[in-house]
Amino acid sequence: MIQAENIEKKYGSFTAVEDITLSIGRGEIVGLLGPNGAGKTTIMKVFTGYHFPTKGKALINNYDVYSDSLKVKESIGYLPEMAPLYNDLTVLEYLLFICDVRKIAKEKRKKEIDRVVAECGLEQVINRPIEKISKGYRQRTGLAQAIIHSPEILILDEPTTGLDPNQIIEIRKLIKKLGEHKTVILSTHILQEVDAVCNKVLILNRGKIVARGTAEEIRKEMQGDFRYSIILKASDIGSVKSSIEKINTVNEILLFDKKDNGLIDIKLSVKNDTSCGEELFDWAVSNNFKILSMIPEKVSIEDIFIKLTAEGDEK
Amino acid sequence: MNIIGLYKKEIKSYFNSPIAYLVVLFFVLICNVYFFLFSQFVARNVANLRSYFALMPLIFIILIPSITMRSWAEEKKVGTAELLFTLPLTNWELVLAKFLSSLTLLAIMLGITVFVPITLSILGDFESGQIIGEYFGTLLLGAAGLAIGQFISSITSNQISAYIFSVVAILFITLIGDISFFMNPTAVLSKIFSYLSFSFHFESFRKGLIDTRDMFYFFIIIFYFLYLNVKVINLRK
Repeated sequence: MIQAENIEKKYGSFTAVEDITLSIGRGEIVGLLGPNGAGKTTIMKVFTGYHFPTKGKALINNYDVYSDSLKVKESIGYLPEMAPLYNDLTVLEYLLFICDVRKIAKEKRKKEIDRVVAECGLEQVINRPIEKISKGYRQRTGLAQAIIHSPEILILDEPTTGLDPNQIIEIRKLIKKLGEHKTVILSTHILQEVDAVCNKVLILNRGKIVARGTAEEIRKEMQGDFRYSIILKASDIGSVKSSIEKINTVNEILLFDKKDNGLIDIKLSVKNDTSCGEELFDWAVSNNFKILSMIPEKVSIEDIFIKLTAEGDEK
Repeated sequence: MNIIGLYKKEIKSYFNSPIAYLVVLFFVLICNVYFFLFSQFVARNVANLRSYFALMPLIFIILIPSITMRSWAEEKKVGTAELLFTLPLTNWELVLAKFLSSLTLLAIMLGITVFVPITLSILGDFESGQIIGEYFGTLLLGAAGLAIGQFISSITSNQISAYIFSVVAILFITLIGDISFFMNPTAVLSKIFSYLSFSFHFESFRKGLIDTRDMFYFFIIIFYFLYLNVKVINLRK
């Protein structure tokens, strides 16, 4: 559905993105993740036909964003970072304007507007001037505009900014629902959003893709092991450390901290989570240690993000 | 051509804000106060509206930019330009929709002044052909100003500078013929200058004559600046 081959976009002498190659299929929700200025918005603008790439090719449904820009624009719904609204129109007038330009047939309009108003929760503000509605409603009106023509592809630039926590959950639900039949690209710097909504992630830094795949795949790639955090009670503290090292699946002891009350805080880096949990338990039982708590720790997407984007900074 | 949607929206925007009403009110007031009070139309005892239409080029210098200043500058400032450029519309459709909507406002404005000749026709023997020619010329003159103003709005980022630059530009092109008179240049240069000016080509319209050469002059100006407008919005890429 969406393809990019070696896209490069320069603004004057500044290279915003380079060497972007990607392919996104139907029903995928792809999150673009990256620090400010990493090139997320630029990539989106290239796909929407707002900017044309300096080099490379971008195809939407096999239509080139440059030579077939009208066809591309018809199949896309786009919500820019700042919701593009006309303050002097009411929400209804605004949606009717979009219907006009998108050539939605007169008899279908009421149905389509009712649908997006319900999906985006705009019932209360439908007849109010956009000037007078809150930031959250503005964002939702912008989203309504993007989905009113039921586009196959949705491109959303930071869709949940400015919303309150309840609205964020609702919009995420909506995006997930839309993503069942459509292709969605969204950018965000809220990392949990990627875990909550997206089934694929592209991490960008300084205009380049530095990691891609599902969140799970990226985790594995970044960190081959898992971690356990254990609190142990042992009568013979001295034997604990030496016996841990004998366990096969343990890679490294990251922390070994004796507390005053006879408890020990241990952090381990291990090879595989399922069998290792059992092995650690068996080890404790056979040595007569008491496990008070044992928590497997996943590497968070935050850790990966920080690691990937910090690496770029060092260069 | 898919221009109806944007055209309707532009018209709605004009009349949802006080600007359209103010512009129309200002125009009608100025025209009539000048015509009846200062040019002492009634005292002169002639049944034509030449002095009425003589004022149009000067009024348009300050009036036309107030219609076009928002055109692109506001879209860019508010961020709606990004919406327009990603909707399935060609650059020509965008530019034409905006131009035709401002032209409609101008036509409405001129339409309101029609009551002047209609009222006066009771009093004297006015030639309707002459008045139609005068209105047609005024509309063309205004349209050329709108095209220039809309182009300038597309290269500025806020309304105020769009207004000021448009006033200067329209002032210049209206009076360039007269400026050359003061500079006392060679006869050829003076002719070229005056041939480029709005006031030179409005002259015969003012008398109620429709001269195709003058018509073409205004058509070329309109087309040229709309074309530049299309080129400018392409530059974003």
